Amino acid sequence: MIMRKKSATTAVGALLAASLALTGCGGNSNDGNNANGGASSPEASKAAGGDSQKSVTISYTIWDKNQQPAMEAIADAFTKQNPNIKVKVDVIPWGDYWTKMSAAAPAGTLPDVFWMHGGQFIKYASGQFLEPITDKVQAGEIDLNNYAANLGSIYTLDGQNYGIPKDFDTIGLAYNKELFDQAGIPYPDDTWDYAKLAEVAKQLSQPDKGIYGFGAKLDTQAGYWNDILANGGHIISDDMTKSGYDEPATIEALQARYQMILDKASPTHQQMTDTDAVEMFKSGKLAMIFDGSWDNGNLASSEIIQGKYDWAPLPKGKVKRGNIINGLGNVMSAKGKHKEESWQFLKFLGSKEAADITAQMGAAIPAFNGTQDAWVKSKPELNLKVFIDQAADATPYPSGSKSYPVWFAKESEIMSQAWGGAISVEEGAKKVAEMMNQAIADAK
Amino acid sequence: MNSKSRYAWAYMMIAPTLIGTLVFWFYPAVYSIYLGFLKSENFGLVNHWVGWANYERLFKDAEFWQNLRNTMLYVVLFVPSTIVLSTFFAVLLNAKIKGRSVYRVIYFLPQVTMAAAAAMVWVIIFAQDYGLLNSVLGTHVAWISDKRFAMYALVAVGVWGAIGFNMLLILAGLQGIPRPLYEAAELDGAVGFRKFRSITLPLLTPTLFFTSIVLVIGATQIFDSIYLIIGKTNVALPSVRSLVYAYYQNSFIYYDQNYGAAIVNVLLLINLILTGFQFLMQKKWVVYD
Repeated sequence: MIMRKKSATTAVGALLAASLALTGCGGNSNDGNNANGGASSPEASKAAGGDSQKSVTISYTIWDKNQQPAMEAIADAFTKQNPNIKVKVDVIPWGDYWTKMSAAAPAGTLPDVFWMHGGQFIKYASGQFLEPITDKVQAGEIDLNNYAANLGSIYTLDGQNYGIPKDFDTIGLAYNKELFDQAGIPYPDDTWDYAKLAEVAKQLSQPDKGIYGFGAKLDTQAGYWNDILANGGHIISDDMTKSGYDEPATIEALQARYQMILDKASPTHQQMTDTDAVEMFKSGKLAMIFDGSWDNGNLASSEIIQGKYDWAPLPKGKVKRGNIINGLGNVMSAKGKHKEESWQFLKFLGSKEAADITAQMGAAIPAFNGTQDAWVKSKPELNLKVFIDQAADATPYPSGSKSYPVWFAKESEIMSQAWGGAISVEEGAKKVAEMMNQAIADAK
Repeated sequence: MNSKSRYAWAYMMIAPTLIGTLVFWFYPAVYSIYLGFLKSENFGLVNHWVGWANYERLFKDAEFWQNLRNTMLYVVLFVPSTIVLSTFFAVLLNAKIKGRSVYRVIYFLPQVTMAAAAAMVWVIIFAQDYGLLNSVLGTHVAWISDKRFAMYALVAVGVWGAIGFNMLLILAGLQGIPRPLYEAAELDGAVGFRKFRSITLPLLTPTLFFTSIVLVIGATQIFDSIYLIIGKTNVALPSVRSLVYAYYQNSFIYYDQNYGAAIVNVLLLINLILTGFQFLMQKKWVVYD
């Protein structure tokens, strides 16, 4: 036993010695890092050109796979100017993005720089998970007036700035030219109203062939929210204290959309659950669909409809032409290990150069003033101008309240009962209103 | 070597598993119970003690009772069908037939198939318009979005996935039955089903007991096939939503991990009761020699 003890002690001793040696090394290199980090004021890092600095890799997380090539091109351009900073672009699909982020935030493992959505911003900013950039804005390192449609204000909370606008998006009416030609019906244009849309959708439908005029899908931003606004209804009151789903104009707009399913002018909700409406459009089975400007790359990737589809403005409603405008932002984590480098990259993401890359690669409509034309020209064969034109009168995406993430998640669950025919549309809308008002009250 | 140091060595040997179990299973389970009494804010960094409030809300929630009924219906449909079919195939594959290892591999394949990939294939099989099932049957049924059929579709997928592994367990049980028993029975004139009923089945009961406990616990936790095959905008979701799916929804989509914790704590209690009940009942049917 004594022998055993002795050998154990020796082993522990050896381990201790080894770990001391290791921490010794670690300590040394850490000191080196700190010395470097301390010296690298913004000016120094610009002047140094990088070779004297330790190279670091920062993470940039996004949710749209279609924009990945453009984001990587921006990262490459940035690394060319800052050879010591490498950027790793990660994609987490939208469906999992906020689940992952909400786990990463309290664990302190948020990506260095990542895409932010207006609906989620308040939660992350008020929890102090985002690095404020107010002093950089005040120091003139970045000018938030450079961005269109007052987009900079989305990522502001209690007078602090947290994000730099990345892009904006509006909704358009995508149509399949081939199906219109076959039926001898003129293409949609800016004279169309919702009655015309319903009428033509009926004419274009051939349910026995699996072809439908319109995808009356269960969708908010690229779906009935636009109908609701056009019909004079509300999603939520302007001060965000009351749901608009139980307003008669809202219910009427929802019913009109649902009626297209009943008229067999649109596939059923079941069919669109089996195969997403956008996928149906991509395979030439739908003549028309509402879709966001961000999704043009997705549509263009389909060989079946390539060269056969185009965009028109959304139809006019009883009151106006409804459209939802939303803007994404880039933000950085408050707990990142390389904040200075992250800020350099964040600033670059907000630059005209990054906006030009975004536009030329057709990834999204850049927020930077004067770069939108390049996006329109990125696909000259398509009428992408409709998205820019509609931005002027568009309604901001109804996020920006603490209750939004809760009611938004529950909305689709209730509405899918109505869309699937289990309850009436009116009943569904009233249930949503009740649920939203409850969520608003709970968040107070 | 004294017994004390022998214990020390034993503990060191089991330490990796023990620590893993404590950190990844025990700690989360205990923390869940704690979470059920809280109202959390700011991603769980700020917590308020609210006592039984989450449970009061739960028991008043009609959706919770519906989810509980769905879960129990799934258990009742899934567990017996899996046991009967697994036993059936195990007995067949225990016979001396040509190429039986090929069959064993075939039946075991679902076990080594990635669940998500298999689910995608099932979605295509069940699809209303171009699905395989409807073209074979000549029907036009929305198997996974009609509330009359969705639960049965899920049970079918579940049983398909579970047969392989349980068949293997039962096969092992079958091979543990001593041959002389059959020979003796044959001398006494027993044939075919009689042999199965009087020898195989009784001596298989310890294995069946074990599989049924594991299957019940697994079945009460059904989640992935609902998530992958039914999906969140499916009109049939309320008729198949399980307690674990409701937990996922509340904790990760509605950001209400306290209410979610209350749901799984109730499930934990249900599982303890079910397992306890099975152990009590084993005297009535399990044969140990």
